[in-house]
Amino acid sequence: MKLPTDILRMYKEIHGWVGIISGLALFIAFYAGAITMFEGPLQQWASPPTRLAPAPALEQTPDLLAKVLAAHPEAAASYTVNLVIDPTHPARISWVVAEDAEEAEHGGGTIHYASLTPGGELQVETRGPSPVAQFIDDLHRQVGLPLDHEIAMPIMGVVALLYVVAMVSGLIVLLPSLVKDLFILRTGRNLKRMWLDAHNVVGLFSLPFHIIMALTAVVFAFHDQFYMAQGIAFDKSGGPVRAAMGPAPAQGAAPSALPPLDLLAQIRTQVPEFQPVQLAYAHLPNGRAVVRVSSGDPDYNIRTPLYGLVTADPVTGKVMSVDYMPGRQDGWSASVTSFFALHYGSFGGTPVRWAYFLLGLAGAFLFYSGNLLWVESRRRRERKGGAVEQTRATRILAALTVGVPVGCVAGIAVTVAAARWLGDGATLGMHSLIYHALFLACTAWALWRGAARAGWELPLVACLAMLTIPLAGLTAGGNWDQPPSLMLIDLVGLCLAAMLAMVSQAARRRWRTGPRDSVWGTGVSLSAG
Amino acid sequence: MTAITKRPLSSRDWFGKTMAGLVLGFFLALGLAGLLRVLVNGGLPFFSARGQLSMWLMAPVWGLILSFCFLFRSSLQAWGWLFLANLAVWGLTALLGGLRL
Repeated sequence: MKLPTDILRMYKEIHGWVGIISGLALFIAFYAGAITMFEGPLQQWASPPTRLAPAPALEQTPDLLAKVLAAHPEAAASYTVNLVIDPTHPARISWVVAEDAEEAEHGGGTIHYASLTPGGELQVETRGPSPVAQFIDDLHRQVGLPLDHEIAMPIMGVVALLYVVAMVSGLIVLLPSLVKDLFILRTGRNLKRMWLDAHNVVGLFSLPFHIIMALTAVVFAFHDQFYMAQGIAFDKSGGPVRAAMGPAPAQGAAPSALPPLDLLAQIRTQVPEFQPVQLAYAHLPNGRAVVRVSSGDPDYNIRTPLYGLVTADPVTGKVMSVDYMPGRQDGWSASVTSFFALHYGSFGGTPVRWAYFLLGLAGAFLFYSGNLLWVESRRRRERKGGAVEQTRATRILAALTVGVPVGCVAGIAVTVAAARWLGDGATLGMHSLIYHALFLACTAWALWRGAARAGWELPLVACLAMLTIPLAGLTAGGNWDQPPSLMLIDLVGLCLAAMLAMVSQAARRRWRTGPRDSVWGTGVSLSAG
Repeated sequence: MTAITKRPLSSRDWFGKTMAGLVLGFFLALGLAGLLRVLVNGGLPFFSARGQLSMWLMAPVWGLILSFCFLFRSSLQAWGWLFLANLAVWGLTALLGGLRL
């Protein structure tokens, strides 16, 4: 396909600039996002045995609920009844105490878990399953920016828009040489050529994945603004826009709710093919009590139309909505659900989760290689301009290209491993602290040592960091009752450690033998500029 | 035919074009979402599935305009053409009675 050269040149420039601005943030989002594919097993791996008394039988739930509401009236506003008890859902009844509505809507706040002792007394714990999965999810959504949700989300939205532009411009640049270059990986003396081939081939073959991710990411970041703008422009009912969905008023409707077993019987007669695992009692913005009955993957929190969801009246058990129930959706609802499912990889079971995991890692590689190529072409341009050494800006960007991704990889590894040692003392804050300490240390190290030396030193650090995962699996929490299949997590840790060791080796060779005027060559450090 | 004599495209005007794509692209996406609402949503509640779909429509439209707005010859042209497109879409939506007013 032929395109005018001025268009190509322009889009090449645009691709470079939007890429370099968003590349590092996208690396973190994709690496952390790839890991969230196994959020459930990871949380199970990281969760200590619960201190709660064994959950009472389902028919005892009304008794437990009455005791919970007597001691904690605030739970009446919204609470959850787990039908399936497992390590990540240890309590029959749980509820969240959040500072404000905003925190509650985005999965914040303190979760309370309730059970009954053998003597029939109420037991409430705030220490539950490990928060490390939640931490990685947060990291995925706002790349570790220590900002409020309302500020971080528009920033991530801008990153997502840059990502769209990078994708379109990258495709345009690639089009003319597409057929010629597609199946070629030129591994030779010209290292830049090899990186470019790899960048192109990974980018092109995961293009459908990236189209989905870019467009859904824009929506996830800006949906509040989109809905608000549409509400202002088109909503004739003048009803409350989505942002106005506040905390449910505590209206004490809960005690009159049907006992869970009766409710389930009601649901079964109305939608027999539905397999409930959780009942979430809440109030609609208009104050009406509802129960959201969810099915599907019990490893995950209920937050989106990801899982099967049926809304019912808690008092009568009458089903109010099957908009989110798989198989009962109309084409419009199913289309909207598919956008969520395509982002979360929540279709097709385990094979798709692995595919998304690999595609996510490939995406992280795409952004990393893009940054490398940017640094490399700057070098050429600068050398043509007669410069013997690279400019300070290029050296800083090269250092960040090494420090930020490797810091992210090492930080996540150690904070995951730490979950085993921290046990049930772990908090979201602690995991964040451990991650950020490593992340910032690696970034600072790269800036201080320069890209060339940090290029092989830091992967070695990350390799050691990765080894803490199997180490923690072996040494800490040995008495934790866990299925052997979770050993896969330790194994993946080992594999990644081996890969990082190889990366370090290769970068070390380059450091020794690479050209002197390159940021990857011998002894160029920032302090020597 | 005349395009050959014009100066080649470059990323020189990137700021003006980007701003046109960001601002007018957003309004064009919003207008198209409104058009979809009035065409398929009818009197359904605001957050119905069709309503949600029209919200989703905004992301690809906005993103694609932002990606392709660099093809305009100048930022003035970008603002001009996108303004006209907005006028057409919003006018049609208003004509069909899709606006809140």
